Amino acid sequence: MDLNLNGDELNTCVQCGLCLAHCPTYRVSGDESMSPRGRIHLMREVQLNNAPVTHEVLRSFETCVQCRGCEPACPSAVPYGHLMETTRETLADAGLMTPWWQRLAMRPLAHTKLLGAGSVMVALAQRGRLVPKRLGLSVDVPFTQEPLRASGTDVIMFTGCVMDAWQRDVHQAGQRVLEAAGFGVTPSGDLAPCCGALHAHAGLADDTRTYATNMMRTLSRGAIADASIIVDSAGCSAQMKDYGHLLGTEAARRFSSRVFDISEFLALHLDRLPEGSQLAGTVAIQDPCHLRHVQRVHEATRTVLGRYIPNLVELDDDGLCCGAGGAYSVMEAQLSGQIRDRKVAVISAKDPDLVASANPGCSMHLGAVGVPTIHPMELVDRALHG
Amino acid sequence: MTATGTGGRLRHGPGVARFAADVGPEGPVAVAGARTRWHSGGEPVREPRLVTAPVGIVEYKPDEMTIRIAVGTTVAELDAALAEHGQRSALPDRGGTVGGAVVVGENDRDVLSRGAVRNAVLQVSYVSSEGKVVSGGGPTVKNVSGFDIPRLTVGSLGTLGCLAEVILRTNPIPAVSRWFETRADPFALFDALLAPAALLWDGVTTWIHLEGHGPDVEAELVRASALGATAEVESPPQMPGPHRWSLPPAQLRGVGDLIDGRWLASIGVGTVLATAPQPGRELSASVTAVHDRMKQYFDPTGRLNPGRDPGRR
Amino acid sequence: MSMLEKARRRLGDRGARAEPATDDDRLLSELRLALAPDRVRFDGAERSLHAKDASVFRGGVAGPSCFPVNTEEVQAIMRIAAAHGRGVVPRGAGTGLAGGAIPLGAPIVVALTKMNRILSVDTDSRVAWVEPGVINLDLTRHLTPMGFHFAPDPSSQQVCTIGGNLANNAGGPHCLAYGVTNAHIMAMEVVLADGDVAMLGGLDPEPAGLDLRGVFVGSEGTLGIATKIAVRITKNRPAVRTLLLSFDSVSDAANTVSGIIAAGIVPAALEVMDHRITVAVENYVGAGYPRDAAAVLLAEVDGLDDGVGIDADRIAEIGRQHGATDVRTANDDNERALLWKGRKTAFGAIAQIAPDYYLHDTVVPRSELANVLEKVYAIADNYDLKVMNVFHAGDGNLHPLLLFDSREPGVLERVHAAGKEIVEASLDAGGVLSGEHGIGVEKQAYMDRLFSDDDLDHQDRLRRAFDPGCRANPGKVIPMGHSCADIQALRRVPTGVWG
Ligand SMILES: Cc1cc2nc3c(=O)[nH]c(=O)nc-3n(C[C@H](O)[C@H](O)[C@H](O)COP(=O)(O)OP(=O)(O)OC[C@H]3O[C@@H](n4cnc5c(N)ncnc54)[C@H](O)[C@@H]3O)c2cc1C
Ligand code: SF4
Ligand code: SF4
Repeated sequence: MDLNLNGDELNTCVQCGLCLAHCPTYRVSGDESMSPRGRIHLMREVQLNNAPVTHEVLRSFETCVQCRGCEPACPSAVPYGHLMETTRETLADAGLMTPWWQRLAMRPLAHTKLLGAGSVMVALAQRGRLVPKRLGLSVDVPFTQEPLRASGTDVIMFTGCVMDAWQRDVHQAGQRVLEAAGFGVTPSGDLAPCCGALHAHAGLADDTRTYATNMMRTLSRGAIADASIIVDSAGCSAQMKDYGHLLGTEAARRFSSRVFDISEFLALHLDRLPEGSQLAGTVAIQDPCHLRHVQRVHEATRTVLGRYIPNLVELDDDGLCCGAGGAYSVMEAQLSGQIRDRKVAVISAKDPDLVASANPGCSMHLGAVGVPTIHPMELVDRALHG
Repeated sequence: MTATGTGGRLRHGPGVARFAADVGPEGPVAVAGARTRWHSGGEPVREPRLVTAPVGIVEYKPDEMTIRIAVGTTVAELDAALAEHGQRSALPDRGGTVGGAVVVGENDRDVLSRGAVRNAVLQVSYVSSEGKVVSGGGPTVKNVSGFDIPRLTVGSLGTLGCLAEVILRTNPIPAVSRWFETRADPFALFDALLAPAALLWDGVTTWIHLEGHGPDVEAELVRASALGATAEVESPPQMPGPHRWSLPPAQLRGVGDLIDGRWLASIGVGTVLATAPQPGRELSASVTAVHDRMKQYFDPTGRLNPGRDPGRR
Repeated sequence: MSMLEKARRRLGDRGARAEPATDDDRLLSELRLALAPDRVRFDGAERSLHAKDASVFRGGVAGPSCFPVNTEEVQAIMRIAAAHGRGVVPRGAGTGLAGGAIPLGAPIVVALTKMNRILSVDTDSRVAWVEPGVINLDLTRHLTPMGFHFAPDPSSQQVCTIGGNLANNAGGPHCLAYGVTNAHIMAMEVVLADGDVAMLGGLDPEPAGLDLRGVFVGSEGTLGIATKIAVRITKNRPAVRTLLLSFDSVSDAANTVSGIIAAGIVPAALEVMDHRITVAVENYVGAGYPRDAAAVLLAEVDGLDDGVGIDADRIAEIGRQHGATDVRTANDDNERALLWKGRKTAFGAIAQIAPDYYLHDTVVPRSELANVLEKVYAIADNYDLKVMNVFHAGDGNLHPLLLFDSREPGVLERVHAAGKEIVEASLDAGGVLSGEHGIGVEKQAYMDRLFSDDDLDHQDRLRRAFDPGCRANPGKVIPMGHSCADIQALRRVPTGVWG
């Protein structure tokens, strides 16, 4: 079966196996079939040697968290993320992957106001045995919150979907920090309802393209037409930086170049950050995969936090994924839990007071088992505003 | 005569051919070295014909830190040749031959700095039960080409083949070598020192052998002295004997309860010299099965050094 | 059943229909009973995945793949395999480069990756007990807070297993002073081909009997499966100094290496990179290597402060005597780490230049390094191939990398022919076939260049003493023409299996 993969990209893998240890699913399973090398091998077998797309082949693909921890570990620079996205897209189109209820559960994310309803739908679906029980969500959805207000047009603060509804505090902290550094902020709000990351991971790339096209239009008009777009969720910033590749147009590439993770942006403007106070306590940095492996800007978190936190500690696992992976923690609850157990053990070894993580998915996933997580911007905000 | 020919295979000199003829293809034979460990592993039986291994240094390459040597040569002669180039080897000089030292396989007192015998033998040539010259291993310091025949000979008491020639790894003689005496806790000393050549303990006194660059030895001495007064001594203590125990180093903490009579334990190593013998160490049934098959395949008629048992070494 | 389930079942049937019948069925049910259904796999995907390791070699496909979690399960697999007359191939992380872990025929593949616990650490005896699937670097990470490490540091250490290191007697840059894996294995529990468990070696210094532990190390899975391993742990050194020496010619660098060894210095590491690879590394990670040197020598000494200084000064001096154009000492840990990062990502740097490479592994006497390297360049030129050299110079371990693009017609033949000449040049200089990757299936055909028939016959006897039926990793190491290599029944490849 033609998976529509680029033959050259597929061939860059020399099967050396150096990526294995950086793959969370291989780490907890020891299975070659749950390793990047194994998945690439199966893609090759399917696309080049016409091997059947069996249940096992599909399981191999489905169990990938798409954390892309394998990419920086790969000496041959295999573009694994793109290979897997294309594979899933092809298999989804062929009706071999992504059950309908999973798609349904994801639809409402595009409409912020419908998010609550979306959760209800998932819950209903669950009760109706359409979705396995394990689809338990750990965060209460807050309903009434103070809305974000624009303070200028220097930068756009992307507020997204899941984040906006569930972690508005983080946006507010981020906005205050940006303002403390002297930037006037326009929250994106309804202008940009969703980045489409979850859809892309599920192989629904067409949906992602639609969101991308809309967002590029609404955020490239008027006073904010050229403003940098600041994102405080690593999964979203990674997706938005990939629009250039996804759409393949010059405009999309230009748009992507305007996107910054908030720490990345602040690290570039360190001189504008006020002194603030020093925070006591030990803070461990948990790098979201999309910050570290995909955007590779995780050093920025250290640069920024280092100014305010003397006791920053590193985890000893080379940034291995925590198992959250968007919908993954719901779809592959068992594996996801095993991956999280490993992460929790690594965190415990350092015995930190707080764990700083710049992605809501990771925070919720770790928070669900009692890990005290906090967004780096909340820490900076605390140091600046007490 | 050189160690290398075209294309890798070993070539042998006349001494080895003579030895092969002496060993021949039949009848019990025993190789006599200097007989310093003649009783190791049991008395010879079946009145074997006595043969002696060839002698002489075949090729010494100081800048490769390897020496090819016929194993009838004494360890003393080996040491003398090496010392001329500031080198030494892992083999202990207990008055015997190189071959004896290899097949008995006892380590030197300073095994922590000289290395173990089993890690020092790079290549071997021996006369097989069929009277043929067989080689294993290779001349270079690093090698994973094929099965490790050299390690099979170490400690084999010559029961699988009559050793004729070996290539040994050598190492440099350190600039300084000094002995100290102390009452400090030997286990604390072992933790505190980076790389002592030996730490010998008789239950009361510990003797420390320090080697290396002069300033390093001084630095180690400072660490040792921090744990208790040290005094420099001329030479190491008189070794009790004649028995040699081999224990896991962690067991040395209770060694006094384990051994009657006088003893001297090598901390961090596990060798104990004692006036009492170590109780027999039984090989498990599965290990014995492999031993038996090894003997059967290498020496089907049991003619090589009959009576010796590496398991009772 | 949902549509998807149905579609999947259909696809699954298609894969299964091709598989051979009854004996496999019986074998499978026995294995599943002994382990657990989900840890015995026989689907097409799994069989094809376990048909390969990191080498370019292919043989057969995996029979069933088993994932045991303890010694008893490995025993059960061995007994069932024996009853069915099947071969058994142990597998670690599958990073071997000589094809050691690939199946020939359709043997049972035993993946040891789920046996990955660190069982105990004893600093008195300087030993750690580990299961074979523990990753090399994980062990060192575990030991770091205690002030110890596991000395063998292959470039693949972030992913390869201790079991694989043991089986291949792995080396690494820092094995120059500390010795390769064999010097760091004190004891191990192994399951023999008949299912018996044997404890080889011991924590005491001179265990009774033959050194079966020493023989098992480096045996590439042909003597049995290691299920618990006691490794020696090494104290971390308080002082380290890293020097970077630049040269106008590769020979000058090589001669400096012989000079250092001849002067009686045993550094922790001595690594050489030639011009091409140095530039590639620099482009890749920007580690601070000179782009204009014909060769660089990375020398590291460790130990106590003063001695390290003395040795470092002498190395610098010997380098200058041999024409070093520049001698630099890393100023701090960062700079040091960066230089090593450059060295250790050399393969990555190459992958950026050419889509494919073939990595050779031979050892020559250190004094022959310059001479053999010259031949290596000439051979590559002759076959119109690009070659880069990055190697463990301190122990004479060459790693010529032939770069190519496999899409170019006929290029593989040239690569293999050049490889053959490189091996021969190494042997002619008094070298050996492999320093750390092993024989596997890659170098079987060269074994008779290094060993006579009688020599090989004795290696075969050694192997059969452990495994009379030659069922542990059948068909490896010993070349055709010797009994263990000739048991054809173990090499039959089933028909109709994909992969
Ligand atoms: C990029 C790269 C760099 C490398 N660098 C080095 C290097 O610097 N030095 C070096 O020495 N090697 C190096 N290698 C080779 C390889 O990583 C080593 O040989 C490693 O020891 C193999 O370990 P593994 O777990 O991957 O074993 P595998 O490849 O899975 O197996 C290797 C062999 O061991 C056997 N085996 C595995 N586990 C067991 C067990 N428990 N009991 C018995 N037999 C077993 C297998 O049957 C096989 O024959 C490199 C490889 C790559 C891809
Ligand atoms: S993306 Fe993550 S889970 Fe998927 S193969 Fe790569 S490392 Fe493994
Ligand atoms: S993806 Fe990269 S690291 Fe992984 S096996 Fe392929 S080439 Fe090696």
